[in-house]
Amino acid sequence: MKNIKLIFSIAILSIALFSFTTINTSTKYKCMVQMTNYVGEGAYVVISLINPDGQYEKTLYVQGDDEEWYNDITEWWKFQGKVRADIDALTGATISGGERAISVIQIEDSKIDAGYSIRFETAVEDQEYYTKDVQFLLTSESVKSKTEGSGFIRYVRLMPN
Amino acid sequence: MTLSIWRYSHLTLAIASFVFVFLATITGIVLAFQPISEQMQPFKIESVNQLDVDQTITTFKNKYPEIINIEVDANQFVSASVITADGTSLNGYFNPKTAAFLGEKPEISTFFKFTTNLHRSLFLKGIGRFFVGLGSFLLFLIAITGSILIIKRQSGIKRFFAKVVNENFSQYWHVVLGRLSLIPIIIITLTGVYLSLLKFDLISEKKQKHTVDFQTTAFAEKQPDTNIFNTTRLTEVVNLEFPFSEDEEDYYILKLKDKEVLVHQYSGQVLSQVDYPMVTFLSNLSLTWHTGKGSIVWSIVLLIACLNILFFIYSGFKMTIERRKNKALPKNKFTKDKAEVIILVGSETGQSYTLATAFYKGVIASGKTVYISDLNSYTTYKNAKQLVVFTSTYGEGEAPINAKNFITLLKSAPQEQTINYAVVGFGSLKYKAYCKYAQMVDASLQLHPNFTPNLQLQKIHNQSQSIFKDWLQQWNTVVGTNVSLVLDNPAIKTKKQQTFKVINKTLLNVDNTFVLQLKPTKKINFKSGDLLAVYPKQDGIERLYSIGKMDNQIVISVKKHEFGVCSTYFNTLQKEDVVNAIIKPNPTFNLPNKTKRAVLIANGTGIGPFLGMINTNPQTEKHLFWGGRTKQSLSLYQKYIDSGLQHNTLSSFNVAFSQEQEEKIYVQDIVAKNAAIITQVLGDDGIIMICGSLAMQNNVLKVLNHITTTKLQLPISFYIDNQVIKTDCY
Repeated sequence: MKNIKLIFSIAILSIALFSFTTINTSTKYKCMVQMTNYVGEGAYVVISLINPDGQYEKTLYVQGDDEEWYNDITEWWKFQGKVRADIDALTGATISGGERAISVIQIEDSKIDAGYSIRFETAVEDQEYYTKDVQFLLTSESVKSKTEGSGFIRYVRLMPN
Repeated sequence: MTLSIWRYSHLTLAIASFVFVFLATITGIVLAFQPISEQMQPFKIESVNQLDVDQTITTFKNKYPEIINIEVDANQFVSASVITADGTSLNGYFNPKTAAFLGEKPEISTFFKFTTNLHRSLFLKGIGRFFVGLGSFLLFLIAITGSILIIKRQSGIKRFFAKVVNENFSQYWHVVLGRLSLIPIIIITLTGVYLSLLKFDLISEKKQKHTVDFQTTAFAEKQPDTNIFNTTRLTEVVNLEFPFSEDEEDYYILKLKDKEVLVHQYSGQVLSQVDYPMVTFLSNLSLTWHTGKGSIVWSIVLLIACLNILFFIYSGFKMTIERRKNKALPKNKFTKDKAEVIILVGSETGQSYTLATAFYKGVIASGKTVYISDLNSYTTYKNAKQLVVFTSTYGEGEAPINAKNFITLLKSAPQEQTINYAVVGFGSLKYKAYCKYAQMVDASLQLHPNFTPNLQLQKIHNQSQSIFKDWLQQWNTVVGTNVSLVLDNPAIKTKKQQTFKVINKTLLNVDNTFVLQLKPTKKINFKSGDLLAVYPKQDGIERLYSIGKMDNQIVISVKKHEFGVCSTYFNTLQKEDVVNAIIKPNPTFNLPNKTKRAVLIANGTGIGPFLGMINTNPQTEKHLFWGGRTKQSLSLYQKYIDSGLQHNTLSSFNVAFSQEQEEKIYVQDIVAKNAAIITQVLGDDGIIMICGSLAMQNNVLKVLNHITTTKLQLPISFYIDNQVIKTDCY
């Protein structure tokens, strides 16, 4: 009888656990992009998920909503231009020099500590284009960190919600 | 065709920027509806302006565990980005009082996005932006040169908004609408240029950097009630960004319209404040004024200004094409020192060239040597016997552009022999300074020892060919030549002409006058006072008749002239005959519907339009004054007058006969006798309409002037300027 009770409760617990993990497979992160004090137009910033092979997996967020300029973000456009995934819900305004922008991005938990990276690429009208302004491996540590940028971005801060 | 520098610039700029201005205007019209449609959305919350930032933050924090930012747009819609308790993120409009989610931000329609793109860059990115910006700047210059032209035309900056003479539809409305939309257009163009300059970094926004010293603020006490969130209204906020994390060193960023403030997230202390530079202020102002966002009224003003620009493009090019037709002066066959007849022309727009050229060709055809030039090229003429000057007047009696130096040159270039001269002035009676410059030329020549007049100054209203022909007849007699005009007949617009059936034609009366009744074969809208344009087959020259309208029929009163082509043609008409003609609207001589009282004054056949008016418009009390030669003259019109009196559409009829008694009584005499009617009508916002001969008009105006100055203490010019007195005289 005791055994039955134990098995029953383990079963319930495991079902609960199992169902919990299947439903809650992704987490929202607050992501803050702080720009350097460059002079010029607002920057387009594309945040993408990169798989362990270094290929684009998914677009997480786009700062800049004028599609006219998307093909200037060359590498990403090779991916997005072909797939044309619906990113309307994932766009915000461009960010100018010295400004910062906070956005909410959603990453599946299975991509953390699994060799996936997050990439921030930036482009400014009539100026440079940085494919890897910021890029780092997604680990349970790095998703709570601050990372310095190499182009228009001064730093990126990520925080699980 | 000579043009002043301003007119030339105005036109050249218009041609240069036409394509860009046209595209930007069309798209601008569409985009004016964007802010209007935004304002129509149901996201506006009543009395938002009573909330302060602190209240809003508290409301939101109570409802949502995580808030990214709160924004207030130009429409005063509050939007936010939050994460709810169950972990979903919400982006869109919120009610700031309850923090309730109202709805997602509607996507800007692809149509507006497409139009915006076309409007600012023509889909050409940087290059397109440059051209649109340049077009905007050119439009600004067009507005400025246009204003200068108006100032010159109105003779002074003070008269900028004075009444404009309506000579021509395109010209009149180009000027009137130009003045009205000048300010909006200047605002649109300057803000447009400013926005372009921003895009090209020619104006750069250099914002100061924030400096935060966390050492001093680390242990700051909370400052209740006095912190910036309590003292700032929500409506002043542009964007409030919440601290990124609970870390002490993360802060609020509060962006207001004129400054950016970093606020400590626990104490509410201001960590750093940066005031926006002037450039940011101007940029925001430019954007708001250029797009009209946040204001339906301003959007509508912008919309109207855009529609006006379209009209300016149309009317401007129409005028240019019309003026091009007046071409230039013909090429001379003889040199200035060989020619016997010298023709000098003064014209601002080239209108006078047509008749001058016809005269020149006529003189050549008569076998005389002739030389034609503009007044500014006046010099010595060794062989000249006859000088003929044709000149118009510009503005308030100034010389037209190609005649500005004539009076000075006249003194400096001496002639060896004595030359006979004649001056013809072209103008419009609608201007106060009618043919004033021609008078000055005439006077200057009279004072000059080498010139003797062989004819008086002839003034010609609206390029009237019949008066010009009369003048030519006199000139031929005096000079002993037989010159006739060689006119390039304008193609008769037979296609545009309508057909009218003759309903009735009376026989000629003692004054060689008859009444013709016509009925349009198709339904046409017209009013008494409009003009019937007839193009007789013989010469194709337009003749205009003032018409009366009665029971949808046209009534014209015509005097048959012995050699009158058109009046003779009309006299041969019989019932059921068909006449080709055009009805031209003549709003300056229609009886306005709202007029309570009107005095109608005419002599002879000038009664034509009034025959219609006295039998219609029952709401207007009308008094008719008419002058004729004999009682028999009146019989022609008797039935119309009786019918008007019978139906109460005519209140009184006063008649003067000049030949019935010893003492000659004219229409102005009976007007003078009935001064009470005049003062009553003028005192009650009524109008006076005069139709008939010019001589009668001048005499009547003299009498009216006496009445108004003595009884109403105002000169008649006051009423003429205010269009209370309407005239249609010939």
